Amino acid sequence: MGRNVLNIYCLAVYAFLLAPIFVVVGASFNAGEFLTFPPQGLSLRWYFTFFENEVFLRAIGTSLWIAAVATFFSVIIGTMAAIHYVNFAGRYKEAVRVAALSPLLLPEILTAIALLFFLYDIGIGTTTMFGLLVGHVLMTLPFVFMNVSASLEAYDTDWSMAARSLGARPFTRFRRIMLPLIKPGMIGGALFSFVISFDIFTISLLLKSIGTATLPIQLFDYLKTNYTPEAAAVSTLSIVATITVVVIVEKVIGLKMHKF
Amino acid sequence: MTEVRLNRLTKIYSGGKPAVDSITLDIPSGQFVSLLGPSGCGKTTTLKMLAGFEDVTSGEIAFDGEDVGRVPAEDRDIGMVFQNYALFPHMTVQQNLAFGLEMRKVSKAEIKRRVQATLEMVQLDHLADRYPAQLSGGQQQRVAIGRALTIEPRILLLDEPLANLDAKLREEMRVFIRDLQKRVGITTVYVTHDQAEAMTMSDLVVVMFDGHIAQAGAPREIYETPKTAKVAGFVGQVNLIEAPMDPATPGHAATPFGPVPVTAPGVGETVTLALRPEAIDIAPAGAPGTPATIERVQYSGAIVDYTLRFADGTAMEVKTIPRHPFATGDAVSLSVDLARFRQLEREY
Repeated sequence: MGRNVLNIYCLAVYAFLLAPIFVVVGASFNAGEFLTFPPQGLSLRWYFTFFENEVFLRAIGTSLWIAAVATFFSVIIGTMAAIHYVNFAGRYKEAVRVAALSPLLLPEILTAIALLFFLYDIGIGTTTMFGLLVGHVLMTLPFVFMNVSASLEAYDTDWSMAARSLGARPFTRFRRIMLPLIKPGMIGGALFSFVISFDIFTISLLLKSIGTATLPIQLFDYLKTNYTPEAAAVSTLSIVATITVVVIVEKVIGLKMHKF
Repeated sequence: MTEVRLNRLTKIYSGGKPAVDSITLDIPSGQFVSLLGPSGCGKTTTLKMLAGFEDVTSGEIAFDGEDVGRVPAEDRDIGMVFQNYALFPHMTVQQNLAFGLEMRKVSKAEIKRRVQATLEMVQLDHLADRYPAQLSGGQQQRVAIGRALTIEPRILLLDEPLANLDAKLREEMRVFIRDLQKRVGITTVYVTHDQAEAMTMSDLVVVMFDGHIAQAGAPREIYETPKTAKVAGFVGQVNLIEAPMDPATPGHAATPFGPVPVTAPGVGETVTLALRPEAIDIAPAGAPGTPATIERVQYSGAIVDYTLRFADGTAMEVKTIPRHPFATGDAVSLSVDLARFRQLEREY
């Protein structure tokens, strides 16, 4: 009895949280001129409109590129930070952790403003993609850090010692023993990183150079002046793309990482 | 075949008292040596220094006369078996065994041959392609030993390798490790806090307390002629008798069993004597010997443990085969061959 109530309650919460997504997906198949739900007739016209809209296509390209590059750097820096945190930070362990997670703890707008000032102070400014990338790396770093530290906490340092006694030098120990064993954490972190980067708004708004726009920014711009189902179509496509990435990575690498 | 010599080997962690305090030990080539002691006695630190995982603060570690104290672990040519086995979880048994040879740039064909030889040696050829997680504790243990031996190291080090196994398997593995070591003939250092393991497996038992070697000797020597009460107590049950000098027979201490010859201390002082519980014979009251009363009986099948008390209040442990059906409260008579008494050194 009590269990049933709990189940219904959980279902209701999920329904409440997920409903807007279904609304967006539903609205994207609208045949009408306006972003309404339920849709006024079914059609794919807004998808075709989207694929002819160079501005959106370019925004998606920019977002994918930034997400990929930011993830690449995030995984490298985050993994190194996690290794330092778990194995070498000693009594500064807690401080290192808080520092690494601080982009999550601080309001994004503060981080964005701070970075903006900083970038102009050191003369880099926002005329290139550089500042935007730095912001994305910073915001995605905590997710790599958390995932890799979790897999490092499960890493038995005796494995490194055993490899050492068998004649493995430091780099070989890292490449043959530690890296394969923390790979699941790195992949998990990379996935998070990619998805988060794809979604970042505030940082992108402040740090983007003039003329470039990531998908969330472009959508925001678009919705300021238009209210067509094309926005829903774009959103639906990006949801599908995100899920596809996660599923592909899970299928290709996920199976391998659970082998032992 | 490597002869190992520790010369005033010392390890001091920053600011603390020495974890290992100037120990000197010769391990003849091919011998099986146990470092035995309670946790914190320095046995594991000593092993880690032998392996090269810990820096030596001072003193010397010599393999065949060559000081290896500064040689990094990866170049020291040691085989190490860890308490939790430390098998690489992402590699099969075969890959685990091959790892050390790959590090040595051994040819593929040679690796294959030697891995196969090791698999046969540790009786695991049927599990070559399994991952460690798919093996039982005993099988993992054998892979760990095989992995350490495949590289044909100069010495084999084992750090409490049986601690995580259940009692029955532990006894099997004792025999397995001992037989293997004899067959391979490798100089072996084995760290344990389990006296039964040390006694049954070793050529030489080194008992350590507080960073010092309390006594080193053959198992029998350690058990039968312990130097101190601590050593006597660590390697088995013991009755410690604080005996005054016997005024009637000079050079003898007065015990409930009669005067026992000792190397006399000053007049009026006492000596500490050790007597193993199985050295005492127990017989029904009236038989020749010292009368005592049974306080507790612990029957465990092959043997029975009695706790007894003499009229003067001294307690005594006796271990014997269950010959008589004695019960708590029975009056009995105890006798002992006086040669079984051991005079212990004073500990300060």
